[in-house]
Amino acid sequence: MTLQADTDDIRFIEAEAAPTRFARGWHCLGLVNDLGDGTPHAINAFGQRLVVFRGSDDRINVLDGYCRHMGGDLTQGTVKGNELACPFHDWRWGGDGRCKSVPYARRVPRLARTATWTTMQQDGMLFVWNDPEGNAPPEQVTIPRIEGATSEEWTDWHWYTTIVNTNCREIIDNVVDMAHFFYVHGSLPTEFKNIFSGHVATQYMNGGSRPDLGGTEGAAMLGTTSVASYYGPSFMIDDLIYHYAEADHHTILINCHYPIDANSFVLQYGIIVKKSDSLPADEAMQTAISLGEFVKMGFEQDVAIWRTKARIDNPLLVEEDGPVYQLRRWYEQFYVDAADVTSDMVDRFEFEIDTTRPTEHWNREIEANLAAGTAP
Amino acid sequence: MSIHDDNRLDDAPMVPVECRRCAATVLARKSSWHQTSIQWSATAYQACPERRAADVISAHGPRGVFLACAELKGSIADAVRRGDVSVVDDTVALPTSS
Repeated sequence: MTLQADTDDIRFIEAEAAPTRFARGWHCLGLVNDLGDGTPHAINAFGQRLVVFRGSDDRINVLDGYCRHMGGDLTQGTVKGNELACPFHDWRWGGDGRCKSVPYARRVPRLARTATWTTMQQDGMLFVWNDPEGNAPPEQVTIPRIEGATSEEWTDWHWYTTIVNTNCREIIDNVVDMAHFFYVHGSLPTEFKNIFSGHVATQYMNGGSRPDLGGTEGAAMLGTTSVASYYGPSFMIDDLIYHYAEADHHTILINCHYPIDANSFVLQYGIIVKKSDSLPADEAMQTAISLGEFVKMGFEQDVAIWRTKARIDNPLLVEEDGPVYQLRRWYEQFYVDAADVTSDMVDRFEFEIDTTRPTEHWNREIEANLAAGTAP
Repeated sequence: MSIHDDNRLDDAPMVPVECRRCAATVLARKSSWHQTSIQWSATAYQACPERRAADVISAHGPRGVFLACAELKGSIADAVRRGDVSVVDDTVALPTSS
């Protein structure tokens, strides 16, 4: 055994600690149907504890989770009329953050006001605006409407929520990471392009079939066509078409998250499937559920990698990798003050991968798997 | 958070290319005939007639993202043929015409 004397030749992994600041932008907390059921819901997000409740005026409100009186946990409280009552001393908090009454006192103290979060309900989902500077959402920073979400021609959301114990930059990296779709997810990318512009980061990916993965959803389908965009730091809409021999299944996949703290986040995804002659309502919902299982498996494959991988600020890339550095430059705009967003974070950037070599290589692997009669 | 530099740019940096239609300048890089990186500036993005036309067409469409400017793509191909943009992987034979 020899000791490495010449360290000049060694590539070292560099990584700063994950930021303790949380991204500016709209974050989806979940489905309105789940969060707006009239009971208070606890949301651990942005390093804090929030409470979500729907009052009698039907508005869904998000407040700081702790009562300003003696620190009672409002998420354990009760919705009374249009107010949230603290379980400790029954102090009543309105959706505007003001204490509306203290039933056992003659009057409410001055400064009886708590922190509130700007909310938005759209297409069955509840969003909150996070901004460390405390500014309102700019008009041009929106989440686009999803027509299928409110249409009878599409199924309802099949929704899934899980906690992932790593910094959320890992899931953002997937936007540009073509090769992992083959090695981690059993996909076969054949075309891959990224476009970053303003607060939107897009991934175009077409995929082929994996006949060597017998018995899986991946083996059953001929391929996929996907256009997926992050609108802001945490909410991705994926127009995803699964091609089968019988028909194409048109789906919308939401992939969104909100940070719990610097080292964990809540990952959520939702799927709706378009009904068609070949896919009537019942079968469409069943398809949404089975594709949901397929997507869930995909995220579990990611999580298995994230669980033990190193955070890395200086990835060592080949020409067949995507634009990881440029994606992170785009992502950085959400972690600096609005006044400090620079043009290189928001100016349009395009990157199209040459998939010739990867596709040739991966097809050889697939043929070898088929010849050997073994799944990888 | 500091953003490091892409190690691939050590082999070949991005170089300016002028669009043959609108004369806006972008930075481009090609690692092979089929791989292209394009860094737009806000000025070039505002100037691009194809981008503006696409905005009008997709205004009512579903979340339309402007995929590419065909004139710019052609301009970059021309620049490669002229030798103004070198292809990093020059073992790939260049097509003789577009």
